[in-house]
Amino acid sequence: MNIEAIWQAQTQQALFREMLEAMARPGTVRDLAHHLEGANALRGLLATLMDGSTTLADPHGLVHDADRVLLQAALDMPERARFVAVDGERAPDFQPALGTLASPELGATLVIVVDALDAGSLTLDLTGPGVESVKRLACAGLHPDWIAAREEWNADFPLGVDLILVDKTKLAAMPRTTRINVLAEVH
Amino acid sequence: MGYVAIKGGGRAIAGAAEVTEFLRAEQGEGSEPLEIATIVHQLRHLVSRVVSEGGVYHPEFAALSIKQSLGDTLEAAFALRAWRSTQPRLLETPLLDTANMRLIRRISSAFKDIPGGQMLGPTPDYALRLLRMELIDESPESFRAVARRWLAELPEERLPDSFPKVLDALREEGLLPPVSEHRASVAFDITREPLVFPVPRCAALSTMARGETGSLLGIAYSNMRGYGDVHPTVAELRVGYLPVLLPHPVTGELIEAGEVLLTECEVVAMYDAAEGGGKPVFTVGYGACFGHNEVKAISMAILDRALQKGMRDGPDNPSEDPEFVLLHVDGVDSMGFATHYKMPHYVTFQSDMDRLRTTQRKSRAKESA
Amino acid sequence: MNMTSHTPTAYNFGFLDEYAKKEVRRAILKAVSIPGYQVPYASREMPMGRGFGTGGLQLTLSLIGPGEVLKVIDQGSDDSVNAVNLRQFIEMTCPGVSTTTRTAEATLIQSRHRIPERPLTGDQIIVLQVPYPDALVVVEPSEDKRKIMHGEADYSRLLVKLYEDIVQFDEITISHRYPTRINGHYVIDPSPIPRWDVPKLHHSRSLALFGAGREKKIYAVPPHTDAEPLVFTDVPFRVEDFRDGEGRRRACERCGCADSFLDEFVDGSGEKVYQCSDSDWCDEHLAEANQGVTA
Repeated sequence: MNIEAIWQAQTQQALFREMLEAMARPGTVRDLAHHLEGANALRGLLATLMDGSTTLADPHGLVHDADRVLLQAALDMPERARFVAVDGERAPDFQPALGTLASPELGATLVIVVDALDAGSLTLDLTGPGVESVKRLACAGLHPDWIAAREEWNADFPLGVDLILVDKTKLAAMPRTTRINVLAEVH
Repeated sequence: MGYVAIKGGGRAIAGAAEVTEFLRAEQGEGSEPLEIATIVHQLRHLVSRVVSEGGVYHPEFAALSIKQSLGDTLEAAFALRAWRSTQPRLLETPLLDTANMRLIRRISSAFKDIPGGQMLGPTPDYALRLLRMELIDESPESFRAVARRWLAELPEERLPDSFPKVLDALREEGLLPPVSEHRASVAFDITREPLVFPVPRCAALSTMARGETGSLLGIAYSNMRGYGDVHPTVAELRVGYLPVLLPHPVTGELIEAGEVLLTECEVVAMYDAAEGGGKPVFTVGYGACFGHNEVKAISMAILDRALQKGMRDGPDNPSEDPEFVLLHVDGVDSMGFATHYKMPHYVTFQSDMDRLRTTQRKSRAKESA
Repeated sequence: MNMTSHTPTAYNFGFLDEYAKKEVRRAILKAVSIPGYQVPYASREMPMGRGFGTGGLQLTLSLIGPGEVLKVIDQGSDDSVNAVNLRQFIEMTCPGVSTTTRTAEATLIQSRHRIPERPLTGDQIIVLQVPYPDALVVVEPSEDKRKIMHGEADYSRLLVKLYEDIVQFDEITISHRYPTRINGHYVIDPSPIPRWDVPKLHHSRSLALFGAGREKKIYAVPPHTDAEPLVFTDVPFRVEDFRDGEGRRRACERCGCADSFLDEFVDGSGEKVYQCSDSDWCDEHLAEANQGVTA
């Protein structure tokens, strides 16, 4: 039987290391193409992180039924789920879990699908833990409301949400500690 | 001169393993290795303890673990748990009703007689603890004759498959609170979720179910002696085999996958004041564990009752404090940490000496000033 | 009784089953996102004792992949019994992984009680083994209460404790496990590293991950992140003092290095001797010194 790469332990280990690098160094774009073997980055990410003991919300219907079974994660509301996969082109219309003062890790991880990373008209300057001075991140297909909403959700550290942006094959992260300065969108 | 005092670590570890293996076999020529089945059957309580503290019902691997650890219960439970770490959790059983246990023993100290009857079964409770010198030179013939004789003299009558629970009668009479409706739909799995306090009662129970017998006994005993006030009565203690049902992987239909030897203890005790000002009722402390471990099940039941009080009113004694009890009864955790003090600590000790020398110097300077 | 039917023949790559690794990986990501916060995780039993580095080991086994170059040290030494034991276990359960004693070559370093002297790079991850993850445990035994104190970044009782030290001893007496504030919020127990190593966490180029197996916690100090030992403005933080009676900095007996953390021991003739605690650092210096002689 031929098992797709993203469901194999060795691929998931490699993908996890890419995600960890991305999370430890906000704004750094990691290209996952050579691990994914044709799958998209969202599927690779979910295959790596999901199992039956976590929860996933898919308000925009980004996950295929066939994948949903293999991911094993219980489906939940976007307001409650530990992981929420969303389409970045659409403006946020929910408030994700922000965690509690005693357990801030219960704040959600938002996986936002965008058109492109390392290219596009939206340019963000990132500072904070993991960034030596300033890290510039360009992307296309991210509704600006996500940045504003994130600002609000993350106003009371340690409460907040952690963002992972994915395009077809690439990934970049912005944990709740990252400060974002939106440079004027160039048209 | 050598570089560090512990150069040659690899050789030392190999040597330690070899000499331990030698000790296992030192009886030498003409001796026989312990058979796993011999351990399972003749060291029944040892195996019971290890399956219970190891948290895996696998009597053969428990026996193997006992064999390789030369009978050290902490080490044996430990190796069994480590093996468990390599096994995924594939299925969950539904709630299993212990009324369905195939009993080998059941007693109640609360009543002279109970529905279904008291059944003393295998227990040393009323035996004189005198050394049986005749076992020193027991012949295989006389040993084998024991089982043969017992089976031959077995009466024809068959025991019922199950016995009613003593608590049910008390509950019917209104002496116990009704069973709570707020039961978690999914049991807290302590092997998959960390304890973040406050924890639900089911997490406390499963932590104690694989707790170290001596640790549970020690803390429960402190409650019995006066650092606490549970004053329990054993409503029922039962030992037997509980059928384990699992959903069929394809059809989902429940099928009996096997049975586990279990010890269960239910104690009743009075609350100081009735909750919510209602009529006073007894409350229940519950203990259950794999294997035949009565002292453990009783200790656990007393602690369960003590912890319920602590969770409700705040702890007045160590045995009522969930963090104190639940974080200190695990044998693998506590023995590991006690053992780790044997490892080199010279970097931190260097740092300790630095602080002591500095403060001594300062205090000397102060004195001479 | 027949056991052959279910005798395991081989273990999974990295010993743990893949579900266990996923849980640890999710915890690691949250630990990095909330620097210094102790993320609870289930913590599986490993085949070595709690307290021997099972927390660090679960991190390593969840991180490691074929092609990794691993270094394992204990007290700064690759050859310490515990380091050897852990390294052998990882070699046995992770085929395809190579191990090294050279800090510079390693991509992943698991350590107990030391951070290597050679500054770590952005391509390296250090995993530290942690016996006591919570710096507040000295002032508050209840974890329930400590979690709220951490959330509020309320470290007043810890500071009072340090202050009492100063009043009594005219010094802060904490020798190792020095409470260190991460990114201006959480105070961590940086594991039993000496004070000497604490400044290495501050704006390090590498990611530092901390694993407490028995206490079931994972926490992190991301790269380029503030890591500041708790101090008062008038009592500076001081690392271990390696000066002799006359105020001269002691040097390593073996390689001559005079700016490394030193182990002190008594040699065969009863003399007190000092040597580098970091064995790779010492070897490198010795090689350089020898080259200098032969050149």
